[in-house]
Amino acid sequence: MERKDFKNIKRVVVKVGTSTLSYRNGRLNFQRMEKLAYTLSALRSKGYQVVLVSSGAIGVGAGRLGLVEKPSETSVKQALAALGQAQLMKIYQKMFEEYNQVVAQVLLTKDVMIIPQRHANAQNTLFRLLEMGIIPIINENDTISTDEIVFGDNDTLSAMVATLVEADMLILLSDIDGLYSADPKTDSSASIIRSVSGITPELEKLATGAGSSFGTGGMVTKISAAKITLAAGIDTIITNGDEPSVVFDVLDGKEVGTHFIAEKVAVKG
Amino acid sequence: MKKGRIVVRIEISTLLDGKGKLSHRKMDRLAMVLTNLQNSGKDLLLVSSGAIVLGTDKLNMKVDMTDLTGMMAAAAIGQAELITLYQKYFDQYNQKVAQVLLTTDIMDRPSRIANTQNTFDKLLEMGLIPVINENDAVSTSDIELDDNYPLAMNVATVAKADMILIKSDVNSNYIIQPRNNMGAILVHSEQELFNKLDEVCLYLKDEPKQEFVFPQSIGDLIFEN
Repeated sequence: MERKDFKNIKRVVVKVGTSTLSYRNGRLNFQRMEKLAYTLSALRSKGYQVVLVSSGAIGVGAGRLGLVEKPSETSVKQALAALGQAQLMKIYQKMFEEYNQVVAQVLLTKDVMIIPQRHANAQNTLFRLLEMGIIPIINENDTISTDEIVFGDNDTLSAMVATLVEADMLILLSDIDGLYSADPKTDSSASIIRSVSGITPELEKLATGAGSSFGTGGMVTKISAAKITLAAGIDTIITNGDEPSVVFDVLDGKEVGTHFIAEKVAVKG
Repeated sequence: MKKGRIVVRIEISTLLDGKGKLSHRKMDRLAMVLTNLQNSGKDLLLVSSGAIVLGTDKLNMKVDMTDLTGMMAAAAIGQAELITLYQKYFDQYNQKVAQVLLTTDIMDRPSRIANTQNTFDKLLEMGLIPVINENDAVSTSDIELDDNYPLAMNVATVAKADMILIKSDVNSNYIIQPRNNMGAILVHSEQELFNKLDEVCLYLKDEPKQEFVFPQSIGDLIFEN
């Protein structure tokens, strides 16, 4: 089945989580990262403007120090993020370079959404990068984020980024195929919901209910992300990122993942 | 042995060759000297500019501070390059670096100061060298963009550094208040920087070299030029 026409889509935000970027043991899945770099570079060649929101800094930092267990202490996490973000960007640069694609690093704290001047600056920088054909790679500035300025999770971050750059679409790549009617692990009758026209209380209940544990990032944050993007009139797709080229299918209007359908917003921005 | 915590602030111009390209020899030397300092038991924080220069270079753009947005965009590209380069050079000496991007408002709230301080302490405890720069891509004012001298001072204050070492090609006209009897050294050439770093190594050992003159405070700096 075909979805609504995505032909007019030009600016896309793609979010990848740690579960997509790494193996279950926490080590990076270079093959998948390479496919992601290929896919996003190819989108650029097709004329799309692309923003990547990527997690993974803390995991990469932990791997670099040979830590087996994920730390729980905040200051350790922040230190690992400082170490890992640098390494993560090094790897992304190398992989995108293969496709002659320049990337930029933008680290945000939530005050970008609160302080007007900072909002304007971040927006101007991102618009300019996109105009220049560059793929900005965005992460939360974990190292300095305190409670009052924390986005919290990268699903929310990616939704806010999508509104910040006035994107046409947000694609959340996850380790699950989409939103299910029930937990597919425990309920054999569970089926994938292909499209959602609005975030209803029932839907939120579904996300917080028994099914909330499937997908490491959890469905709750994805639903709240979709709430933000739908309010801004941005189509949002949650799909399985094991094969990053799924992004091509999404943009071709093929029925993959769950589509949160944006109402046409009369005036954007 | 005296445990010293040193902030080294370096301008990218220090690391360029005659043609305005990054000098591998200078980068290599810097990484070696700083790692050596770290190995001697000191805590080291590096404040480095260079994102805009590297970003504009990558895109074959000219540095043009009147095009603020363009420079912020260049900084977003260049910062990724900069930290990758530092990693590469420090890796040769088996030293890991961590990237910390700050905005000037970290000084505005005690909670942010405390948070940044914790991060620095943790990074240093883990034996990493924090490489710190302004978060240009979201900076709120243009003054943040082209000079990270105030940033270096903030870092030194937050990290409770014993000493700040500044390499600058320009005469600074900032009014700096002496803080916490922090030592400061201003150097004007690359050679001087490396020489001073060597001296600092010796100074911070139990027996300081007699001939080494160590300014009492940042206050001395203002009147030096």
